[in-house]
Formats: sequence, structure tokens, C-alpha cells
Amino acid sequence: MYTPPFHMNDAHMNDDRPDAVLLSAFALGDRQAALVLTHRLTPRVMGQAYRMLGDRAEAEDVAQEAMMQLWKIAPNWDADRAKVTTWLYRIVANLCTDRLRKSGRGVDLEAVAEPEDDAPSATDRMQTQARAHAVQAALGDLPERQAQAVALRHLEDLSNPQIAEIMDTSVRTVESLIARGKRALVARLSGRKAELGFEDDT
Amino acid sequence: MTPETENDLDDLFADLAAEDVPVSDALLDRVMMDADAVLAASAPQAPAPVAQGLGAMLLEAIGGWPAFGGLAAATVAGVWLGVSPPAALSPLTESLGGSMIEVPLLDGDLLSALEG
Repeated sequence: MYTPPFHMNDAHMNDDRPDAVLLSAFALGDRQAALVLTHRLTPRVMGQAYRMLGDRAEAEDVAQEAMMQLWKIAPNWDADRAKVTTWLYRIVANLCTDRLRKSGRGVDLEAVAEPEDDAPSATDRMQTQARAHAVQAALGDLPERQAQAVALRHLEDLSNPQIAEIMDTSVRTVESLIARGKRALVARLSGRKAELGFEDDT
Repeated sequence: MTPETENDLDDLFADLAAEDVPVSDALLDRVMMDADAVLAASAPQAPAPVAQGLGAMLLEAIGGWPAFGGLAAATVAGVWLGVSPPAALSPLTESLGGSMIEVPLLDGDLLSALEG
């Protein structure tokens, strides 16, 4: 039975068993394994979702859903296949592109961070936020595979071979998806350069 | 600087990628509650159907779980030996099975005697 709140103790933090071992333990009923995995993997999953979506509440929903899929697949997890983190990258990328496409989003002004006290840095922040949201919106307009490949390469800083494994395709295809995706993004964003502050950088 | 080259796009991505994304305790709670729900749903179901049927009969005759105690374990063990008796133990399992069935009958007889 769950008894909130729970906190990570040193034993959890220092548990260095591999993800797949913890997942097997969870499948056999080990709640502590779930606790370690939750603290280890949720921040990664949340980060990926937030960088793709730019919306905290939505990113949290995606993170929860991705972790739920992990709990459910635990009994059938095949240790010989992809790493848990690789699998999660794929799940989150799919969930995010689904949401980006369905929402058909533009720049969400409400999601722009609150201004800081000093005006100059507030302006910078607003502009950085506007740029971020423009990129995220443009990603939503790309074909799904292009958006995923570009996001994994440039938001998650993964190598092309890693992306190929995540997307279950060849490195060559990944290179092509990224190249086409970036060309499409440049075309889309160049129409908004004034709005995004690219013309008057001082 | 214009976003008309891929280098500029890379700068945009670098801003995004560098952003710190804190994780709330509320999210960790939600994730952990899901894990608990999955654990609860996959918890092994206790006794096998045959044992449950016989267990329910005995429970009724004896008067509930508090009175059941160690007899439950003995019953399940007896049922299992009855279902799958090792060859050397066959005579023993037969006698165990017989004595268990006598419990409710004896109980019923006593009740009848008291009522009559």
C-alpha cells in the first residue's frame, strides 16, 4: 500500500544496480526497486518531454505516462533488447510528437517565464523563451520522424548511432531525417526572425 | 545574425537543451503511485480454486477466520496431497482427507442434537 510522502534515503541514492535489474526486481514485487527507478529515470524523462513540449504540465503528464508504460512492461522486459533509457527515449519522443501534432500549437505566451526584477535580463529571458517556443511549435509542424530525430540530436545531444537505435532505423536514415528536418525548421523560423530577436542582436 | 542557417538553429537548440528542468515531488509521487497500482494489480492471487472451495466450506462450518487458525494451513496441505499424492504417501492422504470431511458433519450433528 502506498503511503505518501516518500523520500529518497541514502540507500536508494546509492543503489547502483542497473535499470534492467531493478525493473526485473520490480516485476517480482520489489517496491524499493520502483522507488529507485522513479528517482533515477523520472528527471530524465521529464527533461526530454519538457524540452520538446515547452510546457511543464504537459511534460509532467508525458513523464507520468512514459513511466506507467515502463511499470506495465516490466514483467515482459527482455534484458537482451534495448537499454531501459533507450526504450524510454523512444516512448517519450512518440508521446511528445503525438501531442505536438494534435495541439497544433503556436507560441504560448502564458508559458513564458515570469520576468525577473531587472529589466534587461527580463527582456533576454522573454526572448529566449519566445525562441524556445517557436522552435517547439515548428517541431510540431514537421513530419513525426523528422521531429523526433532532430529533437534527439539537438535537444538530448545524442549521437546518430544512438538515435538510430532509439528509432529502430539506420544511421543513414537518421542523418537524412535530421538534415531534412533542420532545413524545414530554418525555412519556418526565418519568417519570424524579427519576432525572435535575430535581427537586432547587439 | 538571422536564423537562416543551420548554425543559428543550433544556437536555438543549445538554449533549449541547456535549460534546467526541475522535477517536482508531486510528479515523483504520481509516478510512484502508478508503480504501486501496478504492483497491487499483479500481486499473486493466494489459494488455488480447489483449496478456496473447500476452505470456504470449512470456514462456514467452523465460524470464520478467527477460529480457522492453523487448520487452514493443514487443510490446504491436505487438499494438495489429495490432488497430487506422492506414491509413498497415498494411504496417509486418504486418511487425512477423510478426517477433514468429518469436521462439518460432526458440527452439524451436534447442532441438530442441541436444537432437537
